[in-house]
Amino acid sequence: MKTLPGILAALSFSALAQVTTEDLLKGSPENWLSYNGSYASHRHTKLAQVSTRNIGRLVPKWTYQVEGAEQLQTVPVVADGVMYITQPNEVHAIDGRSGRPIWRYHHTPALRKGPNRGVAIYRNKVYFGTPDAHLVALDARTGNKLWQSKLAEAEDGYWCPVAPLIVNGKVIIGIAPGDHGLNGWLDAYDAESGKRLWRWHSIPKPGEPGSETWAGESWKTAGGNTWLTGSYDPELNLLYWGIGNPAPDFNGDMREGDNLYTESMVALDADTGKLKWYFQFTPHDVHDWDAVEIPVLVDAPYEGKPRKLLIQANRNGFYYVLDRVTGKFLHGTPFIKGLNWASGLTPAGRPIRVPGVEPTLQGNKVCPPTAGATNWMSPAYNPNTNLFYVVALEGCGVNTKSVDTFRPGGFAFTGTGYIESPREPWQIYVRALDLTTGKLRWEYKQVGSRRYGAGVLSTEGGLLFAGDDQGMFTALDAVTGKSLWHYNTGRRISASPMAYSFEGTQYVSIAAGGTIMAFGLLEAER
Amino acid sequence: MCVTMLYKAAGLTLILALHVAAQPAEEGRILYNKSCTACHGLDGEAGDRAPALAGERRFRLTADNDIFDAIRNGINGTLMPPTSLKETEIRFVVAYIRSLRATALDTPVKGDVEAGRAIFFGKAECSKCHMIAGKGGLLAPDLSNAASERKLAVIRDALTKSRPFPLRGYKPVRITTARGLIAKGVVKNENNFSVQLLDTGGRLRLFDLSEVASIDPEPELAMPRDYQKRLTSTEFQNLLAFLSRQSERQPGNGR
Repeated sequence: MKTLPGILAALSFSALAQVTTEDLLKGSPENWLSYNGSYASHRHTKLAQVSTRNIGRLVPKWTYQVEGAEQLQTVPVVADGVMYITQPNEVHAIDGRSGRPIWRYHHTPALRKGPNRGVAIYRNKVYFGTPDAHLVALDARTGNKLWQSKLAEAEDGYWCPVAPLIVNGKVIIGIAPGDHGLNGWLDAYDAESGKRLWRWHSIPKPGEPGSETWAGESWKTAGGNTWLTGSYDPELNLLYWGIGNPAPDFNGDMREGDNLYTESMVALDADTGKLKWYFQFTPHDVHDWDAVEIPVLVDAPYEGKPRKLLIQANRNGFYYVLDRVTGKFLHGTPFIKGLNWASGLTPAGRPIRVPGVEPTLQGNKVCPPTAGATNWMSPAYNPNTNLFYVVALEGCGVNTKSVDTFRPGGFAFTGTGYIESPREPWQIYVRALDLTTGKLRWEYKQVGSRRYGAGVLSTEGGLLFAGDDQGMFTALDAVTGKSLWHYNTGRRISASPMAYSFEGTQYVSIAAGGTIMAFGLLEAER
Repeated sequence: MCVTMLYKAAGLTLILALHVAAQPAEEGRILYNKSCTACHGLDGEAGDRAPALAGERRFRLTADNDIFDAIRNGINGTLMPPTSLKETEIRFVVAYIRSLRATALDTPVKGDVEAGRAIFFGKAECSKCHMIAGKGGLLAPDLSNAASERKLAVIRDALTKSRPFPLRGYKPVRITTARGLIAKGVVKNENNFSVQLLDTGGRLRLFDLSEVASIDPEPELAMPRDYQKRLTSTEFQNLLAFLSRQSERQPGNGR
């Protein structure tokens, strides 16, 4: 953009060449080719046209109203200026410069299960999961349906909110929900034909390693779903995916044991789906703290030696640093102040439980609440500041326990009539943590915000974009956390921002309510 | 078809299963052309004094009972008189009118479907622009569900009659940029400030109109409308049979 503008302008008329494995490996700042923007899931754009210096001139460039949309959670994927967004049952292709629609695919049967978090793109196809539990491949240029593969029986209660991940010509995709006692897995499909290549079951069957962590028949209705997109290390050829809660969520009596591999980070061989290692954050969870939060892969010195790290700010309130080659626990510390369910972590990373916080008939107060210290909203890592940014919730809940019986057909199997009615208000913060120690460097209080949902985006221009439930889209100074710019989108934000560039203009985009918005400088600096 | 229609008329309840409907509809067509064409047009077209029965939506009585009553009793305030047909005959006419309104999938079509497939992907070159079930081109609509979305007459007309204006999302144009580059393709969307083009190379191209010198029609990309001449009558009928079976649902299973 800054060099050879004439040549680039001449080339730039031809949009959407095929997205290749090479493109996905190398990444290009102009494009945002996957849910998390890159395999390492830093959510840090190398685009620097918009920076701390000129942020005051950031203005809305266009608005795209998604007909019928409620609270979008889609993260736009952009390839050569064409943006792909989703809502349940639908994919829309949009001109990323003008916001004008190009095509729309509507999936039938149009079940009303949501949300949907976005597409994956590879060659000339876009892929998305549907409320009737299918993986659908569309022609990226027209939205023509090319094939669909059944992930699971929708009648059993399964559905798919997951943005798929493309790895070496395979479409990697997970499933929901665990709260119905439906067991989870991670799947790989051939991107060309839709044929399933492997399936890794997150709940081991009797006789398999880990099956000893489930009492009796409890493994049959055990949960462990895979409903958020993971990360990938091409050197190790390992996929990293967070696994959801065990079922019934709040009553652990009938599932004595650690309940592997629920509430774990797993590393799978991308070619075979074989388990390489796992680390369980919350053994025998009784608070529905799905460990699906995005694993962020960073190569950084740790205790003086370069190390391949995996970072996760977990819904249970702890910030974890793991060695992603071996799965070894290196460090963990709370990233919320009010955490009350564990007094700390053992040297192996196992929580030291505080008695009296588990759900009972009357209910017990637990902090963080079931909604979690964080959740699906994306964190980010900025290699320049070496800070990890996460949206954190300070607050508590009251969880009750009841006896529940599994019923097939998609009924809740949670073991509670649970209520979350804290006396004290919940409060949302954007927090910047030191990468390896997890120490708080700064925080930005989103005054008035109680419900979370908006993730963050880090930029090479020294900015951190964040949103909140009041509809405010803000740019913070990545070093200090100071608010530098804000825009009122007018509706609660439940999605994570991303950035792309086209024809020399950098855009920052986010779904706010049922609207996609794109921002750019009033006059782009070339 | 497993659709059953229930009539209650003159205290008589009759269930007519439409899987034998081809015959009643044909009976009905003969009765219609004899009894109704003083006002309505032949074969359900618009007539001198009355509208087409398979025409614009605003003319339609939608429920079978309504059509039945209109034929038996006439329509007050219009020229439509009561009929002298017997009730069984009225039901045949209702079946015929229903068939006029059915999508291609639910309309009996003569011809060899497999031979039609060969024509679609071969001699007629339809698949150069159209796609069915993931096979074919991109410049024209995907026809995987064509028979559920279109009436047989619409499909036949698309093959034989020119359109007054191109289908939205498929207007064939040639775009000349201010730099003198030329792009040919179909317009997916446009307004006063931008155009989104799918070019003949299968690439989406996004133009800001400030970069565009002219946008002109590109007739060479337009759909040919003379398939009755390009194909033999057997080939044409087979193609029609093939297109009228392209659906994501089974015949008669509703929407």
